[in-house]
Amino acid sequence: MPTSINGILKALGDALGGKILQTGTLRPEKVLVQVDVGAHRDAIKVILKQDENAGVSAITGVDLGKTIKLLYHIRACNTIITIGVELPKENAKIESITDLISGANFHEREVSDFFGVTFEGHPNPKRLILPEDWPENVFPLRKDFTAPNFPSKTENSGALKDNEQVSGDDGLVKIVLGPQHPALIEPEKFILKVDGEIVKEVKPRIGYVHRGIEKAAESRTYLQDIYLVERICGICNACHAACFCQTVEAIMGVDAPPRARYLRTIILELNRIHSHMLLLGHAGFEIGYETLFHYMWRDRERILDIMEELTGNRIIASFITIGGVRRDLKEEMIPRIKAEMEALRERMKFYKELFENDSTIKMRTKNVGVLSKQDALKLCVVGPVARGSGVNMDVRRDEPYAAYNEIPFRVITYDYGDSWARLMVRLDEVVESANIIQYALEHLPSGPYRVRVPRIVPAGEAIGRVEAPRGELFYYVKSNGTAYPERVKVRTPTFANILAFVKIAEGINIADVPASFISLDPCFSCTDR
Amino acid sequence: MSLDSGFLFRVLIFPGFAFILFFTMFCDWVERKIEARVQNRMGPTYTGPAGILQPLADFVKLLTKEDIVPFNVKNFIFKLVPILSFSIFVFAFAFLPIDGANAILNSNFEGDLILVLTLISIANFFLFLSGWSSTNPYSATGAARVLTQFLGYDIPLFILALAPAFLARSLSILRIAASQPLPFALVIPWVFVLFMITLQAELEKDPFDIPHAETEIVGGYETEYTGRRLAFLKLAKDVQIVLGAAIAVELFLGGPYGPVFYGSPAFWCALWFVLKLLVVVVFTEYLTCVFARLRIDQVLVINWKVLLPLSLLSLVATVGLGLWLNPLR
Repeated sequence: MPTSINGILKALGDALGGKILQTGTLRPEKVLVQVDVGAHRDAIKVILKQDENAGVSAITGVDLGKTIKLLYHIRACNTIITIGVELPKENAKIESITDLISGANFHEREVSDFFGVTFEGHPNPKRLILPEDWPENVFPLRKDFTAPNFPSKTENSGALKDNEQVSGDDGLVKIVLGPQHPALIEPEKFILKVDGEIVKEVKPRIGYVHRGIEKAAESRTYLQDIYLVERICGICNACHAACFCQTVEAIMGVDAPPRARYLRTIILELNRIHSHMLLLGHAGFEIGYETLFHYMWRDRERILDIMEELTGNRIIASFITIGGVRRDLKEEMIPRIKAEMEALRERMKFYKELFENDSTIKMRTKNVGVLSKQDALKLCVVGPVARGSGVNMDVRRDEPYAAYNEIPFRVITYDYGDSWARLMVRLDEVVESANIIQYALEHLPSGPYRVRVPRIVPAGEAIGRVEAPRGELFYYVKSNGTAYPERVKVRTPTFANILAFVKIAEGINIADVPASFISLDPCFSCTDR
Repeated sequence: MSLDSGFLFRVLIFPGFAFILFFTMFCDWVERKIEARVQNRMGPTYTGPAGILQPLADFVKLLTKEDIVPFNVKNFIFKLVPILSFSIFVFAFAFLPIDGANAILNSNFEGDLILVLTLISIANFFLFLSGWSSTNPYSATGAARVLTQFLGYDIPLFILALAPAFLARSLSILRIAASQPLPFALVIPWVFVLFMITLQAELEKDPFDIPHAETEIVGGYETEYTGRRLAFLKLAKDVQIVLGAAIAVELFLGGPYGPVFYGSPAFWCALWFVLKLLVVVVFTEYLTCVFARLRIDQVLVINWKVLLPLSLLSLVATVGLGLWLNPLR
């Protein structure tokens, strides 16, 4: 690391001087720098100068009544620095930062959709999540939002316009991939402009499964919200629960007891294993290797059996709660889980050999969809996608939560940046996760597995980060001192990774689109929320 | 040749239409079972003992389904193609000796090898037409891929099929099969290996099942087909697989000929033929299971840069071997 967080703060103070309105902390121990409107660009430039690998983790909008507060959560020096800006609600305008960090593109469009903030100088200020026929000047996440009278679906609905033009002015053929397509399990649309067999440009369109979970969370109690956020993503549900609970615990100033922290680690790693194996099997299916798919999913089933025994459910765990976990691990399960982990490591050895030696797998994934390290940093990608491009980042190591500060593990990186590297990262991480679970079981502390917490959460705001199977998961929770949160912001890993697909799809063969797309492990129900 | 009951029996029952139909379904079941077992699954289980009637049940089910012809299709071709491609494949079967003779007795002639291979090409062309007439982008892409692939792989297939014909000094499938005291697979193994690879591509099986890449082009050329047309299209594909395997058996594994112990030689011939064919089917299905699907450009590179020169080379080697074993007089 070129510099430290204190260095950045000092540089910020020197450069901005009077433009800094206030510095404070976002719990747990995160820097919050409140600046003048317009000074946020200077602040981000200063941070980029200090740590050139800095990226945007999320941009949160909060409706404060008369004003809208924007929080730029910048990932620098392995932690998060938040730059806060307050805008007047009427005619909210701010300069875009997409020219500084291109990964901010989608984050700004999302805020603009939900809060009606205009980002001046944004390269593509279109709707991102809301449908094209959503009425103007109705912003769902503002507090004064009332549901509009939705126009009836008409033939000339804006959403259809993109489909109609089959070939553009540039003579390229448009191929529409989705919203329903066999290669995509979830609904999303990509408009591919192809020249012969080569993809020239990709335009993503998401938001088909937007369920308004962030809004719904505001009208439910914290306890109810745990079950709500688990439903953001079925596959990595434990990560969402962990991240939300962690963030709320930070506001409350409650610490989960040691045994609960270890149990959380175990469930999070089980979650990672089954998510990665799902993806690896699915990648096999995408490249027409159905045998791999069946093998992988059968081995995954054993992990699900452990999940069921531990939590009572195969997939949606509902295991983690505010102040600990909901169930204890029975002593007699420990040897069985250990044996399963041993068996899993053996299987992964076999799969690794397969991925390294099978020529057809290599022909379909090696040097396909290459994302360079520079692009990965610029587009602020997270998780295995970043690590496959040689970016050494992992929230588990950078800012340990649960019991990760006490458990040794390796962060897997590959430098190739192609589909193969991204799959190999996941393959190796499964082994690491098995090791982590084994270590956690051997060093499981005794004691209570949860502490009781009050239902009313004191006023305050906090951010939380968890390394979900698909990458860094980001939560921001603001409490107003009642049993209901004021604002819950979720930035899921796939949201940060979609821009990478736009990048890697340029110039690849159209037959490689599904295979390279799946190597990002996209999850659109998370992305849309 | 008169229309007596023996003739009708041979054409319609055994070794003609009914035998081919049910044997194809049996092979389909074997394939599905093998694939399932390799992939750690059960495969068909419920219909009949060990699910052996599942292909028949699937076929009957499709026959009963609603028949939808999309609005914009080229109507005549769209409706004609499934039945035509099926009949051509079955017709080609009539020239293969199954119980030691062709379905129509004494119908073999010098050059029926060329005829059978040509019929396969024509039937493949009808599969292409099925996608092309659908006017659906997925079907069109699938159809284009069928055409690209079979145009490429027909050439090495023809060249490789000539090698056993040269050794047998005949272009009649019956004579080639009959002139193998030692199966040609053992005499010219290099040709046999190449032939099996080419066959895999010709039958559109992994790693060459590009026209069926469901993650890229949905159902390929079958996308718009439903009901009985789909049933016949699928049946045509299955017959094609059995036919491909049967040609491999005739040319390289000694055809229906094998040790005859007692009783009717026709019975033993049919038995040997079925057993040999099952070996080939199991082998191709195994290959299907252990490979990922290639890309169309990679397939073409393999075809034109690897398989074509290799098949020419192997033909030259075979001619050399044939002349050395049995010099021209």
